[in-house]
Amino acid sequence: MPELKLKGVNIVETFAEAFPMVGTRVIITAPTAEWAMISASTMTGFATSVIACGAEAGIERILSKKETPDRRPGVAVLLFTMDVDKLQTQLRNRVGQCVLTSPGSACYAGLDSKKSLKLGSSLRFFGDGWQTSKVIGGRRYWRIPVMGGEFVCEEKTGLTKNAVGGGNLLVVGKSHHAVLAACTRAVKAMADLPDVITPFPGGIVRSGSKVGSKYAGQIASTNHAYAPGLKWHADSELPPSAEAVLEIVIDGLSADAIHEAMHAGIHAIARGGSREGITHITAGNYGGNLGPHHFHLKEIVG
Amino acid sequence: MSALSFELNNKPDQRLDLSPLVPARLAGLNRKQVEALPINTTRTKLTVGDAFKVRGKDVESLHFVGTDERCDKIGAGLAGGEIVVEGDAGRLLGAQMKSGKIAVDGSVGVLAGASMGGGEVAVRRDAGDQVGGVAFGETFGMKGGFIFIGRDAGALVGERLRRGLIVVGGKAGDYAGGRMVAGTILLRGGAGRYAGYGNRRGSLIFAEKPRHILPTYADSGVMEFDYLRLLETWLREQGMRIRLGGRARRLMGDQAVLGKGEMLILR
Repeated sequence: MPELKLKGVNIVETFAEAFPMVGTRVIITAPTAEWAMISASTMTGFATSVIACGAEAGIERILSKKETPDRRPGVAVLLFTMDVDKLQTQLRNRVGQCVLTSPGSACYAGLDSKKSLKLGSSLRFFGDGWQTSKVIGGRRYWRIPVMGGEFVCEEKTGLTKNAVGGGNLLVVGKSHHAVLAACTRAVKAMADLPDVITPFPGGIVRSGSKVGSKYAGQIASTNHAYAPGLKWHADSELPPSAEAVLEIVIDGLSADAIHEAMHAGIHAIARGGSREGITHITAGNYGGNLGPHHFHLKEIVG
Repeated sequence: MSALSFELNNKPDQRLDLSPLVPARLAGLNRKQVEALPINTTRTKLTVGDAFKVRGKDVESLHFVGTDERCDKIGAGLAGGEIVVEGDAGRLLGAQMKSGKIAVDGSVGVLAGASMGGGEVAVRRDAGDQVGGVAFGETFGMKGGFIFIGRDAGALVGERLRRGLIVVGGKAGDYAGGRMVAGTILLRGGAGRYAGYGNRRGSLIFAEKPRHILPTYADSGVMEFDYLRLLETWLREQGMRIRLGGRARRLMGDQAVLGKGEMLILR
């Protein structure tokens, strides 16, 4: 039985189990904030889960003109995969197909590290020999002539191998409406924090999964223990009052960033208290045997 | 620790080679040893102590006071540290330097920053010919770093420039960017004739339309350049408020050679 309560909401004494990932950040700028966002949204589209998207990506935050290298409106994007080679491929493909193609865009490094990922140094070949490079303040930029003018892209960006994927919160409530409202609040609170993204649609997953399935070849299947329609089953983890469960998955450049995000998320969910229909906040794990990062809700709340 | 300063006593009757007076060569020397360093360029021997009054200790921060246009090779081969020149400097100031900063209060002679690989040279007044040009024995001019000339510069600014940025606040002489290979030259006060002669991949940025444009430059018209915005931002971070804007007319050349260089004439 849970002991800890936050405004009447039960904080289940469990932990979110997360995995090491590799991650990078790029900065996308454009003539207007709207076009920077279009470019960034396109680049981070279809990137909810590495299960089938190849990468997990999202918008970290909107950057003001003062914060970008070319003093235009910008967006910081985070991209995560399970290894460096995949990260390189995903970065090249996504920037190449979604940022290079976007009107007026430019793409810059968002992370400094000793080892780096190719950015402009592979996309420059699109210039078919007409590309030129410029070194400004020790950083190399490629200028690729395109129909819209010139695509400027920094030669490389940094990466971190200390990234963490799969930090999560499961929100249980008495109505879908209440759970969705609480989760929306939590995603908003996390959106203000640095170094993290919530890669699912609007930051929220409605179909949390477990590993494996009864069907051969199906690597993930519905987390039936948290499906309210299956509460009758002995596997169910839900109280009788539960009508809906939604999950927030968090990827971050560090474990600390995930910790901070989960803290902000839990407090935002519980802000309305149990009166608004949220009964439990819990987290997904695999018994602790798979992922090295364990985020215990009890420690996070405190 | 106070800066190690060299104050010129009187005008020597020969040019001086001040290349030994860089942090790497002075480290570990005591005052007497420093004063004994030869700086003569003729057969008449002249030491640092003969020509300069030496004060201070910090070899990473050197001050030259009262120097004139015959004080050559100040900061040549510099590989870190800071040099301030309160006066003029002769030829080859900061030539082949790798890193560090040189700031000159007055004017400098020919070949300032010649074949330098990195670091920063800032000259408050005028510079002679071949700023960032080719040092003796080298095949390329400046290969990296930043040169700022506050007022006018002579002919062949950025001759055989390979990489790096040169900003000329005033007017540049003939053949600005002559035979440049790559890199960027920003000319705020225009240039003489034959700018960009033999330019391969370099960028010549003109704040205003130059009076003479070589016929071997092909007009591409006006468009937006985000690269100029990056450059403007970087210059601002260095404390230089130079408005470049994002739009420029682009002429590509020199078509007599590779033809991938450009003149950007700001709008």
